[in-house]
Amino acid sequence: MSLASKERTLARGLVAPALLWTLAFFVVPFLAMLALSFAHMEGRKIVQGFDPGNYLRAFTDWSQLKALINSVEITLTVTVISVVLAWPLAAIIAWRVPQRFQRLALLLAVLPFWTSYVVRSYSWLLVLGKNGVINQALMGLGVVAEPLALASSRTATVIGFVHFFVMLLTLTIYANLVQLSPNYARAAQDLGAGRFATFAHVILPLTLPGVITGAFVTFVLCIGDYITPQILGGNTELTLPQLIMLQMGRSGNFPMASALSVILMAVVSLAYAGCSRWLRLDRI
Amino acid sequence: MRILSWVYLCLAYAFVLLPVVVLVVFSFQDGRLPVPPFQGFSLQWYEKILSDTGLMTALWHSALVAFVSSAVALVLGFLAAHALARVRLPGSVVLRGVLIAPMTVSYLIIALGLLTLFNQTGIKLSLWTAGIGHVVINLPLCFAMAYAAMGDHQKTAERAARDLGASEAQVLWLISAPMLAPALAAAFFLSVTFSWDEFIIAFLLTRFDVTLPVEIWSMLRSGLSPATNAVGSLVFLVSITAVVMAEVFVFRRAK
Amino acid sequence: MTQRALTALALLTLATPAFAQDTLNALVWCDHTDPALIAPFEEKYNVKVNLKDFEGTAAGLAILDQSQPGDWDVMVIDSVDVHRAVEAGKLAELPADKLPTADFFPELVMAENNTVDGKTYAVTEKFGYNTISYDKTKVDPADMEDMAALTSGKYDGKIGIYDYYLPVLGLVALGQGINTADVNADTLPKLQEPLMALRKASKQVSDVVSSQTALATGDVDIIVGGGEWLTAVLAKDNPNLDWTIPKQGGLRWSQSIGVVAGTAKPDLALEFVQYIVSPEGQAALAQSSCYWGMPANQKAGDLLSAEAKAVLRWDQQPDYLKRAQLYPIPDAATDTAMQDMWTAMLNQ
Repeated sequence: MSLASKERTLARGLVAPALLWTLAFFVVPFLAMLALSFAHMEGRKIVQGFDPGNYLRAFTDWSQLKALINSVEITLTVTVISVVLAWPLAAIIAWRVPQRFQRLALLLAVLPFWTSYVVRSYSWLLVLGKNGVINQALMGLGVVAEPLALASSRTATVIGFVHFFVMLLTLTIYANLVQLSPNYARAAQDLGAGRFATFAHVILPLTLPGVITGAFVTFVLCIGDYITPQILGGNTELTLPQLIMLQMGRSGNFPMASALSVILMAVVSLAYAGCSRWLRLDRI
Repeated sequence: MRILSWVYLCLAYAFVLLPVVVLVVFSFQDGRLPVPPFQGFSLQWYEKILSDTGLMTALWHSALVAFVSSAVALVLGFLAAHALARVRLPGSVVLRGVLIAPMTVSYLIIALGLLTLFNQTGIKLSLWTAGIGHVVINLPLCFAMAYAAMGDHQKTAERAARDLGASEAQVLWLISAPMLAPALAAAFFLSVTFSWDEFIIAFLLTRFDVTLPVEIWSMLRSGLSPATNAVGSLVFLVSITAVVMAEVFVFRRAK
Repeated sequence: MTQRALTALALLTLATPAFAQDTLNALVWCDHTDPALIAPFEEKYNVKVNLKDFEGTAAGLAILDQSQPGDWDVMVIDSVDVHRAVEAGKLAELPADKLPTADFFPELVMAENNTVDGKTYAVTEKFGYNTISYDKTKVDPADMEDMAALTSGKYDGKIGIYDYYLPVLGLVALGQGINTADVNADTLPKLQEPLMALRKASKQVSDVVSSQTALATGDVDIIVGGGEWLTAVLAKDNPNLDWTIPKQGGLRWSQSIGVVAGTAKPDLALEFVQYIVSPEGQAALAQSSCYWGMPANQKAGDLLSAEAKAVLRWDQQPDYLKRAQLYPIPDAATDTAMQDMWTAMLNQ
């Protein structure tokens, strides 16, 4: 056996465990779910077969389709707001905060990362409630007479999400900004670009990979999240994960839950295709 | 412009920190509801949760699942990264894609897929099944971080060791792993964090023995109480301590 | 390093539960997860009771469908759904003579629900009402006696709906003058419009705890589908919370417990059921941490404090029992239609 082919055999052996794990516990389960999504329920019995009924229902039954629309709307809103809020925050930390305090500033900005995920949404409930901190403060200051209806709404869900993803995006954008050499900006200005032009045509495009990567991760995590809308949304509307859990938990309708999951996955894949040009997931 | 920056920074901090502050403050509430007005300072809720065996068991389960699943993910990810970075296998781009793929899929879907599989094969749900799910989500992370950290000087050192007669296991254990230690430590640390706090996989794939997030979720569902605030604050304290320790002992040294 | 690996291995072995102790696997509602209820049984029999809580009969049956015989020993279920579970072969027969049903409130023996073909399969353990809970300082209590007030516009945005389709659709039916027993495929369409009107007037639809939270924090002033189970937990801190059965009537919920067919520990399972319906078990269950409810066994009254009995409205029970109807008992098709109507309401 030649050295090269021996090395290859060895490499295969080293990749095998990870590959087998991924196949057995990721690819195979997904295929099982895919197969199940074409089954249907007869009473409480799952009847295997090739029945596209669940998919038809997902797109024709308004109560099911609405969940998909809600999820996409909420996710897009959250992604845009989070990027818009996080970019300046990352920039201020990278450019205005003195170097030796930057790590501290960053750590402070992502501090709530370390609270428990379930508890984070719950604490927003305490903040946004009718008797919550915000309303008490606003009423105490005389800004509003009646408490604002903030909790149990889409607004609350979006606030809860934005809170988390601003932290995440601040990290990814910051990482991108500090890698930028100041020479780019200097060069642009030497060539006669104004401050705004420098920003719009040089800095912003250069941070695009960081922004897009962060935005994609935001999209994936946000659209698949069950806890935040469940705790903060007050069931005023359903998102896709909530509907999936409802179909499974309450009705025991695994085929429908599987079909909705496949749709959820398809939406994520579409988003991936949309921004794959800029994505460098192995570099997160 | 400069003032505006500082104003923005303060507002951003206020927004980011507000819920944590509220959470911690009302964990000391001397009353049954964790909402204003603040009725006085009390440690009763901490007493309550620390003597709650269900909660403490869940805490232990969480730590166990986090460490074991992260260790498995790290070993598998490291070995795969080592192989793929060194040798060009036919189809290695596809291989990398497959290994990274779980990263782009919602946890809910991974959980549902595994639930389907376990149901169909009659495997009973337990902490182990949740752990399997956590390895699935952390393996891509460990793989990617190890892969990204492999550089040319590493390959050179490995080759040198091999030329000097080191076995492959020795190369892995004595050369590659120590050289990649900072990246591996970071990957392990991140994996532990993700697993420790993961909810939906643990929720769907456990039965009686549950992890902390699942236990907190059922606490939430069985009553609004400052005890939930106390658990949240405690977890926060533990995590922050871990972060600071990691910062001081792992990442500082890595520089 | 080997040493560290060994330590890890040792930790792992430690984590595996001790098998010496006997275990009992129970599929329950959240009120059974209170240690005050379970611990005395565990101590007495030196067993570990493993609890898994679920929502709704369909989900419970689905869990059983996916399990192997012997995985589960006891199960809690809506009394009205016992027949469904028996038809699916999920419940084992109970020895009727070993159950203290003679001490029960007569209305709660519910033989027509708990027995099939003369064989007993479950026993009622707890009951209460799904009606209207409210904050009496924020709404006019007189209005709460008439369901029509809810959709009159006066309370728009101040109403929360309890997220369980059976009782709330039952209440909506009562509001339309339809008895819950008559809710079927023919009458169901008549509920569509009033349900949506109720939804329009309300701020949120939420589960037990979110409903409690919303009422306690003032996010809503009224919970449709609420009752003592919702307000009792909060009564101590917020004495303003009240509930009533409006003139159109209310719904009576009740839960039963039975032994799961195929259990490997029929004797222990029966002991557990007997413990739950004993006066001690009943008193603990009545005041459980997730939600309160009336015990089916009247003898539990001797073990309940006067305070607790007041919160449970022990003395008003004769009147309430007369005015409340049972949950609708839909056939499979109607059940699916009701759930779909509910999902559509959630996601209108």
